[in-house]
Amino acid sequence: MTKPKVASDWLAGCAGCHMSFLDMDERIIELTKLVDLRSTPITDLKEPDEDGVDVGILEGGITNTYNEEVAIKMRERCKILVALGDCAVFGGVPAMRNFPGATAALRRAYIETESTDESGMIPNDPELSFPVHVRPVSDVVKVDISLPGCAPSADAIFYVLSELAQGRMPKVDGEFNDWH
Amino acid sequence: MIQLTINGQPVEVETGATILDAVRKAGFNVPTLCYHPKLVSYGSCRLCLVEVEGARTLQPSCVVPANNGMVVHTDTDKTKSARKFILSMLFSERNHFCMYCQDTDGDCELQQAAYDEDMTHWPITPAYKPFLVDASHPDFILDNNRCILCRRCVRACTELVGNATLGFEERGSGSILIADNNVPLGESTCISCGTCVQVCPTGALIDRRSAYQGRETDLTHVDSVCMDCSLGCERVVKTRDNRLVRIDGNLEHGFNESLLCSDGRYKPVSETRKRVTTPMVRRNGQLEPISWDEALSAISAQFKAHDSSEISAHISPRQPVEALSAFHEFFADHFKAGQVALLGHDQTALASVKLAAEIGAFESEISVLKDCDAAIVLGVDMVKDHQVAGFFMKRQAMQDLKLFIANSTSTSLGEWSSNKIDYIGTDYPAVVSLLRGFAKGETANLTEKLQQLGLNPAHAEKVLGQLKESQKPVIVVGNEFARLDNLQAFRDLVLLAREIGAKVVTLKGKGNNFAGGLLGYEMDAQAKTAPVFYLALGDGHACEHTLEAMSGSEFKIVQSSYISEITDAADIVLPCTIWAEQAGHYLTSEGKFGLNQQAIQAADGNKSVLDVLEVLAGKSGLTIAETWRDSVQEKVAAVVLS
Repeated sequence: MTKPKVASDWLAGCAGCHMSFLDMDERIIELTKLVDLRSTPITDLKEPDEDGVDVGILEGGITNTYNEEVAIKMRERCKILVALGDCAVFGGVPAMRNFPGATAALRRAYIETESTDESGMIPNDPELSFPVHVRPVSDVVKVDISLPGCAPSADAIFYVLSELAQGRMPKVDGEFNDWH
Repeated sequence: MIQLTINGQPVEVETGATILDAVRKAGFNVPTLCYHPKLVSYGSCRLCLVEVEGARTLQPSCVVPANNGMVVHTDTDKTKSARKFILSMLFSERNHFCMYCQDTDGDCELQQAAYDEDMTHWPITPAYKPFLVDASHPDFILDNNRCILCRRCVRACTELVGNATLGFEERGSGSILIADNNVPLGESTCISCGTCVQVCPTGALIDRRSAYQGRETDLTHVDSVCMDCSLGCERVVKTRDNRLVRIDGNLEHGFNESLLCSDGRYKPVSETRKRVTTPMVRRNGQLEPISWDEALSAISAQFKAHDSSEISAHISPRQPVEALSAFHEFFADHFKAGQVALLGHDQTALASVKLAAEIGAFESEISVLKDCDAAIVLGVDMVKDHQVAGFFMKRQAMQDLKLFIANSTSTSLGEWSSNKIDYIGTDYPAVVSLLRGFAKGETANLTEKLQQLGLNPAHAEKVLGQLKESQKPVIVVGNEFARLDNLQAFRDLVLLAREIGAKVVTLKGKGNNFAGGLLGYEMDAQAKTAPVFYLALGDGHACEHTLEAMSGSEFKIVQSSYISEITDAADIVLPCTIWAEQAGHYLTSEGKFGLNQQAIQAADGNKSVLDVLEVLAGKSGLTIAETWRDSVQEKVAAVVLS
């Protein structure tokens, strides 16, 4: 049996969920015996294989058009999509921006900051992606497994991945369902 | 009794019980949010929906009465899907992001309800509509963005506290919690009792001091009793790492039904006075640190150098019965000190004890206030003092309570009652004589008598008539009325109570005043200057007259937790533990012992009043007896009816 391929990426998050993934320590070696770890934001390969992977993992919420593209690409290339952490599942801390609105948040950050003088301006380079209403991944693409937590524990991540690696659908409940 | 079946299991409940009562009695559980055991059920959140065979729709179990023969199912696909849907809707309405909420990880009932349904995400995207945050109150913050509109706070404010400050404005999902007619909480009629904060199931009402200090499970819970006034409300002191974090009412037991006032809940955790850290002695006009041994030897030498009548000993009623008993034994029994007094001027306890010795036990327990239909309140403003007892009266006032209030200042106690007489003055003998005469049917010169008291005769006569017709009258007396120099009026009042079948409740001032009265203390309103002045102040405050009497003394010994003008004037200062650092009993107004358990450890160098007394007694070759309980208990029975 070939090992299932796993790819991950991060959107608008703090990288904390990936740090929590690394927190599983030596179990990563066990895990790599079970799965073929493909692209991740912390390894050389950055994009999931064009011919697809079995499991895609996304950390972070959708805050701009680039996040949308990444989420859509991951969804197209994976069979099972895992939303990892509170930002991917609910929108998380970046979603606080939705209460005042993106424009007000950008003004506060780039123009009204106490240390900014009158030359302050909101970045407007055409290369930059466009900020959107912050949403969970599931508002953009279909999510198969939600693993909430800020961050989800290494145990919870190991449980979900090892279940998937062995061809079972993990049930996130009990101590593993911790929204924080 | 009603018989019904829950999930196939037969169960029997009292008539009037709800389906929820039956479900819990049968050993099952249904999640709830707006339901609270201390409040009238409301049925607004719908989380407790159950399937009742034959019913057209799912039924809210917290409000639907159990009926004979009902067949109820709590965990069907239908109920589970309804619960998930309700929770999805709740999460979609406002800011319920757990990761930046104070109330999380097991403390939030909304979050817990979601966990119980194994929800891993929100099926409906939130609306992100911002709502009002009111941070104007010194003790708590109201964040409408976290509110689920369960109205527990509103119901608690009205049903439990009788204050009716909180209410809702707007309708449906736009409803917002407001104070009064939408004024900032800090400027409202809120009395800062904190009951709303304690019953809030989410992070909508946030306690300022304990916010982000840890989850309930991180805190150590210690059952305790409040010693601020003589009611002795039961409370739970919550600590972490030897630090006071929060005080809550005790939901499990206590006459106070989990209620506390701001003095019981917030005052002890907002202490700003500076602690005394070491024993100090006055040398060349300045207080200088010395060792405990030196300090205690110096005190002992003073006691030996003076005739016992030259000692004046004063103790705070915030001290436990153990300390009061030992203090009295040491200074009054062994030393025959010139004065052995309790700080304060409230003579209610002393007057009650004296009167009961003459005419027998006459007092009833505080709980009679909870279902009285008429009340005569003499000489106490229950809105300011003994507030929790005042809550009971205020809620009765909302239920058509007939009220006669006599006090030197006006009170808002009866603001909800339309049948009330407010006598503002202090001619208590005239008031008692009027009431007693009216009860006996003596109506001669009634109009004049009422006019003399400054009352509207027509209205007063109507209310007096209603008072006379009442079924469960109570008489509440306090500080201004129950005085040793007013004992005749007090005696007449008790006779009136016996004649009309009214229950008498006396509110006995501060902490352990009742125990002090029974142990034979006098109040220190006429504090006497003596060559040696011993003041066991503890964490209390002393009045001006105590300071004045003390300042005339040659040698002033003060046991105090905090630095104040009292310690500044002392010759020897002994650092003393505060209430939370010592254990001890408090005798409540109604004559029951409450135990204040030690919640935190004192810093090295602090000793309790009792510890110091034991050492001083040892230096005088005495041992302090520990047999106070039975004798106090016996004396209580002579005052309070069993």
